[in-house]
Amino acid sequence: MRTSTPIAIEGYGAYIPFYRLPTTEVARIWHGGGAGANKEKAVASSDEDTTTMAVEAARIAVAMAGVEKNLGAIFVGTESKVYAVKPTSTIVAQALGCHEILAADFEFACKAGTEAMQVISGLVGSGMIDHGLACAIDTAQGRPGDDLEFTAASGGAAYVIGRSSRNSITKILGSVTYVSDTGDFWRRQGERYPRHLSRFTGEPAYFHHVETAVKNLFTEFKTKPSDFQYAVFHQPNPRFPVEAATRLGFTMKQIETGLLNPVIGNTYSGSSPLGLAAVLDIAKPQDKILLCSFGSGAGSDAFILEAQEPLIEKRKMGVPVRDLIENNVRIDYGMYTKFREKLQR
Amino acid sequence: MLGNKCEKCQAEFFPPVNICRACKSIDLKPLEMPGAGKILSYTLQKESVAGFEEQEPMVFGLVELSNGVRLVAQIVDFPYESLKIGSKVKAVFRRVKADGPSGQIYYGYKFGPPRSPRETSATEE
Ligand SMILES: [Zn+2]
Repeated sequence: MRTSTPIAIEGYGAYIPFYRLPTTEVARIWHGGGAGANKEKAVASSDEDTTTMAVEAARIAVAMAGVEKNLGAIFVGTESKVYAVKPTSTIVAQALGCHEILAADFEFACKAGTEAMQVISGLVGSGMIDHGLACAIDTAQGRPGDDLEFTAASGGAAYVIGRSSRNSITKILGSVTYVSDTGDFWRRQGERYPRHLSRFTGEPAYFHHVETAVKNLFTEFKTKPSDFQYAVFHQPNPRFPVEAATRLGFTMKQIETGLLNPVIGNTYSGSSPLGLAAVLDIAKPQDKILLCSFGSGAGSDAFILEAQEPLIEKRKMGVPVRDLIENNVRIDYGMYTKFREKLQR
Repeated sequence: MLGNKCEKCQAEFFPPVNICRACKSIDLKPLEMPGAGKILSYTLQKESVAGFEEQEPMVFGLVELSNGVRLVAQIVDFPYESLKIGSKVKAVFRRVKADGPSGQIYYGYKFGPPRSPRETSATEE
């Protein structure tokens, strides 16, 4: 898929909460188990949620883009909406001072954020709006003791997309999507925690969709792994993205910058968009970047991006992902249960 | 955080005032407050009113913004032992309270630690 008018990222903002839960803490309480390979995961404080993190990331993205209130759309892609009924996007719009704006929440498990980026791309590319904001944020929850509790983390990123110009920081050259009805992971209405089919989440779900989307992207845009300086994949654990990248012909050098799961866990919708932010923090002009999300249920969106000269100066307005990762405080399982509403009083 | 500024004597206020407290002028213009500041004093509140239970114990601080405006706000993301007079802070968007598990959620600003040396240098301006 490509827009008739060239489009680009004009600003981006990342947000990772301050607190880290070492996975050794989860293992201490539940006596092992879990994918376990990530060291720590990012945990939101008791007064943080998808809305507050979206606002923090969005403010940085909007300031970097220099668009102020001139946004035509705000979409929040998340599976941890604060209200079951009441949009998160209107709260973000209000916080940014925007009212004459298309606002909606997107849901597609972990790919809701990249889906929002694609729809914004279409609106900008068609000329319906000048600039749009896509927020990819989650406060992922795992049932206490479940494998997911080792990795389900909080954080995400926001992107302002507009028509490609001399001020653009990164061109979006195109994208593809691949979906199928796959029951690897779900959460029914009213249920607090998601359910998943452990081993089934790998081959027929993650790997099939990620690999198909990326291969389709290669075909449609006549490109190959060696054309890219960086590749970012959705990161449900530290192992899957490395395996998928290797099978597709990418090297560790191409993926290590955007691979954040080992130190922050899986931020669901925020996962691959945060990895992209980490890449944009250091990419050089003309570097080509592959971004591929995965959402259970299931599907993948894959993008080709190209960094531009203004990125070098404009990214100084943001908060580097590296700083958000390194500036943290470790908590124990007790504090974690207090923060994430697992404690009855 | 929208405050205002006296057009006559340049004094800045938050929350906004109708009459300048310095020169009594009524010629004031809205002004966005700087997000960065430092803590002048702080206290720990162990018990709070309904709607704030999840956040107990809460820390409140007297914050001086980089433009000299002072305000009282909730301080978050500081392990209490690490909080000091003079600690640098920045405005953050957070949940203020919720009307129980089924009611509305209210949002607003609080102050937390800068997350990047980039933000710290902004504080020192
Ligand atoms: Zn005055």
